[in-house]
Amino acid sequence: MTRFLSQEAAVGFVERCRKKHVVIGLAASQMAWDQVEADACVSAFRMPRAAQSAKGFFMPVSESLGRYGAQAGDEGARPDKEVVLLGVRACELRARDYLDRVFQQGDFRDPMYDQRRGSLIIVSCDCVDCAESCFCPLVAGQPFATDGFDLNFSPVDGGFIVEVGSDRGRALLEECGPTQQKDAAAQQFAQRDRQRQQMLERLKRQNGDFEFDVADEAITPLPKDNHGDWQRFAADCVECGACTNICPTCHCFYLYDQVLGDDRFERVRTWDSCLLSSYHRMAGGEHMKLTPRPQLLGRLANRVLHKFTYSPQQYEMLGCVGCGRCIDACLGEIDIRQVVQELNG
Amino acid sequence: MISDNPYMPIPAKLTDVIDETPTIKTLILAPDEPMSFRAGQFMQLTLPGVGEAPFTPSSSPAEPERIAITILKTGTVTQRFHECTVGQMLGLRGPFGVGYPLDELDGHDVLVIGGGVGLAPLRALILALLEDMKGVRRMSIKYGARCMEELLYRNEHAEWTQHKKVDFTCTIDNAQDGWDGHVGVVTTLLKDLDIDKARTHAFVCGPSVMLKFTTFTLLNEGLGPEQICLSMNRRMSCGMGKCGRCNIGPFYLCKDGPDINYAKIKDYPNVF
Repeated sequence: MTRFLSQEAAVGFVERCRKKHVVIGLAASQMAWDQVEADACVSAFRMPRAAQSAKGFFMPVSESLGRYGAQAGDEGARPDKEVVLLGVRACELRARDYLDRVFQQGDFRDPMYDQRRGSLIIVSCDCVDCAESCFCPLVAGQPFATDGFDLNFSPVDGGFIVEVGSDRGRALLEECGPTQQKDAAAQQFAQRDRQRQQMLERLKRQNGDFEFDVADEAITPLPKDNHGDWQRFAADCVECGACTNICPTCHCFYLYDQVLGDDRFERVRTWDSCLLSSYHRMAGGEHMKLTPRPQLLGRLANRVLHKFTYSPQQYEMLGCVGCGRCIDACLGEIDIRQVVQELNG
Repeated sequence: MISDNPYMPIPAKLTDVIDETPTIKTLILAPDEPMSFRAGQFMQLTLPGVGEAPFTPSSSPAEPERIAITILKTGTVTQRFHECTVGQMLGLRGPFGVGYPLDELDGHDVLVIGGGVGLAPLRALILALLEDMKGVRRMSIKYGARCMEELLYRNEHAEWTQHKKVDFTCTIDNAQDGWDGHVGVVTTLLKDLDIDKARTHAFVCGPSVMLKFTTFTLLNEGLGPEQICLSMNRRMSCGMGKCGRCNIGPFYLCKDGPDINYAKIKDYPNVF
């Protein structure tokens, strides 16, 4: 099902959403996720992807996993309210699919992720502009989503084509959308398709220097050994962990316990970074090998290999969605496209 | 079974502490509910308010209500575990991992090679096989420790060899007064093995350097990489293949191990 919402109707939709739900969007001025005004939110639909991805809403920087001790069974406060997330991009949806595989597949489902995931209503939008670092077509992605959303907004002249992707999306549109809803016209669909194609071509053009091919999620033959090829890039890495924090698929976490009071304890998880030297720290004294990757190049190689070689084996998809956020964030100006290009084959 | 929230420990009472060696203690734990595990699967042991660390139970899987964890004092957390007293409440989470492939051993010789406290997880394998040999033709145990005071489970060695299909040899790194046994690192026990090399499974556990040289020695002795199962216990944390820190290539040791076939991992970086 698709509808056409004028600019004004789209703002009205977000305003009504904000009255009934917790609505998180991107303010066009700062492009940071927050509870922002409806018109700012809607303007952001026409901007490039934000510096920060929506990862934090699926997996917060820090969260309680539960309490134990004298108050066993008290699992602490849990989010139960639905949150509407506005302006999510195709790359972030793909990253969300990746996180789903990590946290929901296998012998153990992650209850915290499950709950949070279930409480999110996702409103995505096509990219009609992009950042210089965006490279989704190089990793078999595209700057618009065709599924995986509850609602998707495609900017067209005078408003948006809104595509319904789920029952929840349909319900939200019925609840908060205009009472008189129009179908999108053929010429608006034509404009959407033309824009999508143009955006894809622009992205391919701006990545014209890169030729690696990971189409069909194929495994990239990056060098397996810790040899010197990685050293060139490791020399620029300052081990700040910005790339792992900003990456929408990086999900490594650290578990720790804290004391709440007499015989009352809480288990907490926080984001962690595989680039940090303390990350793999094991027990042992001075004569033992305390980490399997004592060298930075080994850790850098492991991160890149995880994205491009290991993830397809583990989750049947690449661990990189081509959003380019790590390129923008890197203090050492390491460009992951260049790493893959130079080390590939 | 573990509770709905796999991050939360099951309370476990410390019922006994055994001084094994000057640096190794075994904690005997009675969890609030029996925790069934397969030999080789590991658990996360919680010290309330301090955190948790991964250990493979050293006791028999036949006793899920009385779990033994053997701990070498080697750092801050293990020091704290050594200071625990009988009656104290700890916590257990798990079991995690796949455990030893006991069902693949029918008709095979089993070579158990331990270094130092590495004999602890292997003890679960030894006890499981003593209970049911699963068609194993012979179990040969090779064990090395730094010195004779550090030999683990000393009063059980003789008991193990009472089984007619089991033999046990141990060695210490350097000669010592009062020791008339074998001297040298554990790999010196692996020369000219009297086993059917084509039908042997080797299970190895010990410090990283021991795993490395034991693997190379076994390969030199004619075993194939697929016949060597390494206990690659690393910094396993979540136990479910989610937190990311224990990978070797695409494998998470917590989920795909902690004992893993060398053939699977040998081509990936930073194995040892």
